[in-house]
Amino acid sequence: MLKLRREPSKGALRLRPILEGSPPHPSGFRGRPGEVLDLAYDERWVGADGASTAPEWERVGAACIAAAGEAPRVALDARGLPAQFAVALGFGAVLRAWRFDRLKSQRPRQPRRLELLVDEPDLLEAAWARAEASLAGVLYARELVAEPANRLTPREFAKRLRRLRAEGIEVEVLGRSALKRLGAGGLLAVGAGSVVPPRIVILRWKGRFPAPPVAFIGKGICFDTGGISIKPAEGMETMRADMAGAAACAGAMLAMARRKSPCPAVAILAIAENATSASSYRPGDVLRMMSGRTVEVVDTDAEGRLVLADALHLGATRFRPQAMLDLATLTGSVVTALGHHRAGLFGNDAALSAAVAAAGEAVGERLWPLPIGGQHREDLKSDIADLRQCMPAGTRFTPDASHAAAFLREFVGGVPWVHLDIAGVETAEEDDSLAAKGSPTGFGVRLLDALVERHFEDPHRV
Amino acid sequence: MLDIVFAKPALPKSGALVLPIVEGAALAGLAGALDAEMNGGLTRALEAASFKGKKGQSVTLWAPAGGITKLVVLGLGSAADAEKLGGSMIPAISGETTCTVATDGLSAGQAASLAMGAALRFYRFDRYRTMEKAEDKPKLTKLTVASVDAAAAKAAFAPMKAVAEGVFIARDLVSEPANVLNPVEFAERCRELEKLGLGIEILGPKDMKKLGFGALLGVAQGSINEPRMVVMRWNGSGKKKADKPVCFIGKGVTFDTGGISIKPAGGMEDMKWDMAGAGTVTGLMAALAGRKAKVDAVGIIGLVENMPGDNAQRPGDVVTSASGQTIEVINTDAEGRLVLADVIHYAIEKFDPRFMVDLATLTGAIIIALGHEHSGLFTNDDELAARITAAGLATGEAAWRMPLGEAYDKQIKSDIADMKNVGGRPGGSITAAQFIQRFVQGRPWAHLDIAGVAWSSKDSATIPKGATAYGVRLLDRMVADHYEG
Repeated sequence: MLKLRREPSKGALRLRPILEGSPPHPSGFRGRPGEVLDLAYDERWVGADGASTAPEWERVGAACIAAAGEAPRVALDARGLPAQFAVALGFGAVLRAWRFDRLKSQRPRQPRRLELLVDEPDLLEAAWARAEASLAGVLYARELVAEPANRLTPREFAKRLRRLRAEGIEVEVLGRSALKRLGAGGLLAVGAGSVVPPRIVILRWKGRFPAPPVAFIGKGICFDTGGISIKPAEGMETMRADMAGAAACAGAMLAMARRKSPCPAVAILAIAENATSASSYRPGDVLRMMSGRTVEVVDTDAEGRLVLADALHLGATRFRPQAMLDLATLTGSVVTALGHHRAGLFGNDAALSAAVAAAGEAVGERLWPLPIGGQHREDLKSDIADLRQCMPAGTRFTPDASHAAAFLREFVGGVPWVHLDIAGVETAEEDDSLAAKGSPTGFGVRLLDALVERHFEDPHRV
Repeated sequence: MLDIVFAKPALPKSGALVLPIVEGAALAGLAGALDAEMNGGLTRALEAASFKGKKGQSVTLWAPAGGITKLVVLGLGSAADAEKLGGSMIPAISGETTCTVATDGLSAGQAASLAMGAALRFYRFDRYRTMEKAEDKPKLTKLTVASVDAAAAKAAFAPMKAVAEGVFIARDLVSEPANVLNPVEFAERCRELEKLGLGIEILGPKDMKKLGFGALLGVAQGSINEPRMVVMRWNGSGKKKADKPVCFIGKGVTFDTGGISIKPAGGMEDMKWDMAGAGTVTGLMAALAGRKAKVDAVGIIGLVENMPGDNAQRPGDVVTSASGQTIEVINTDAEGRLVLADVIHYAIEKFDPRFMVDLATLTGAIIIALGHEHSGLFTNDDELAARITAAGLATGEAAWRMPLGEAYDKQIKSDIADMKNVGGRPGGSITAAQFIQRFVQGRPWAHLDIAGVAWSSKDSATIPKGATAYGVRLLDRMVADHYEG
């Protein structure tokens, strides 16, 4: 990914972050964020004013890559920086340098080489190895999200996840017949319209602690047309990313495996394609979920909560986890609520929610708590079934993100649970972030990995 | 307002009687007395009805004994929320002329809360119902709250009553249709509050022009109804040199068509309550004055009508606010923030307030974010956040904090002016708050987006369907808890 070096290799373009207090350059370059000075053929300065936290240094690293253009060899100069900021600089650079170009017939033959210049490479080795584990998880998730839906079908998704066995992760795939036996009525209904049947993929990392696992539950809708309640054409192409929650869970498992986390973990990924076809499920259908509850379908485009409900139930009953966290690009409502800078945080356990929010803050994947109120649950009363899945389509100003969370809560048993609605943050909306505009962010991988490390790896709490 | 009196417990000679019973408790007090008068008939009736005192259970007996016309026994469950109890009993007794309610087991303070709940629920806005039959109108004229410590209950109720009056002022204002309540009429109604000891000052378009209110006047120019700004002052601290006042600011768009960026027809009638922020501030100031709160407070409301008239402002117009900052108007339906910008600037310059809280039915996005149980709370001050949240929980007017931040602020950058008035759909309520924050000069400030809570489509225990007056009780409580004395 990136080499630690004392000096730049021959022919490398050196990128030097410049802080406030450095002598002003005659060109007027002052070191402000966003500023770039083309100093010499092999050196550029990048504004890093005010960077004082790891997430800020990651952004500087990303800015360096953006400033490097197409240079094939890039050396980021972190000499003189404290170790954690040097790592952050490299981290941000790797994230920003990633691109998904395997489907372009004309692409650079050699991948870009990155170097991180530090005073003592040996001393940074361990910290960088830790960072690489996270990076591997994030980039893995991004690859999956970036894949178009004709390539990453539910079958292909499961196939790729099977390869995680090489990382020491157990992989179990539940196909249509297994799902039928389990009575996964939600997932089977959502996947019914596609020529590729749905699946649940279970990833297990054993860890070392003799404790119940932490469970990650991911929404993995490989493409979401909306089904019979079909979406408008505009922007529908982005629905290939509707499996970003599942990808993030898988990425987090990979990160934990790479760094040999002592904490046992399980990921349950509900994978399906929500297609329009002669066999699609319909608004008005009543489904019997894996938990036995009946659900009235109101809008086939609110499919994420149906597949998650079965996955949550499976997670709660089969693994009795110490905590369940689900990630899903679930609602447009959360985008209206929080925009592209924070994901929505819901849950049934204040301590767990606080730990999750703190982990997100630490890695720059920011969350904001949203309520599940009594009225939100009340709104899900159905005339025909135990509950309905959402408010009727076309109802004005509906707090659908909270409705979805209230719905999911019905399927978590008594397990401490957090739901992250990551619609709006799974794709970079601006160019000044850790991913190029329009490309997947891998949001959630680092958060889950950091949460486990900070909160679930203390042997004394087992 | 319902006539409420407090008296020592005694079985009434006439009218209705309400007996609240804690789950599993023996019949004591008035209930015991009545049971004795009925020779154990009440005990038998409750047994026959399987009444255990569970929350929500109720038993009704007609003419049980003496002159009592109707007896309602209400189950309280394990713990009584006296205020909710007072409110929820109203539908059962509003057909009676007089009613006595027992408060055995409740403290004097709880008895007062019960009375408050009853008063709040009994409210009704019926001045435009000319054909309603007499039997369809509520008949209740007097409620007697029977309390062993009637004097203490009465004393505890006095300030609550003033707050209830404030709530009713706000509900009346919000309920009025826009052809009746235009900015001029609204201001005149504020003038009537002088009788409570409030100082009222009304500014018209000429004054506002002098003050440079380009943002507010831009909104107003599409209507034939002139805008007004009303300043309501309450100097209750009793100090010779008044304290820095606490300051409340309300959005008062008496009707919001959306202007040239006109709204869809469906549901547009709701836009008569787009002045609910101003209504709440008015009710709050009346409440503070009515209960003689020991605080120096100022309430300022910006009153305009947003119409697509021949002189209406257009999308693309650039206006200069009182603060000197320029605003590109992208969407004329994001007008509330334009009004608030100038009013907030005026508040700072004129009053140097201790803090400011603004209330506004500002965005549909806040309903999509939170629904109808919480307002959206945006603030640059953690202490205000904590105090507002706590007061909200205590009064049943809940507020949910929402984020602010530089990343959101970028969404309102304009190519031609200092800012634009909308930042797109993502985080729509947040960018609205960011817009307002640009006018607060870094002072302690909170913004309550009350679009989802100003109006209720169904009855609740203490709030009949319609205008809720959300915020009057919350802010009154916050003042009482932290800023008096």
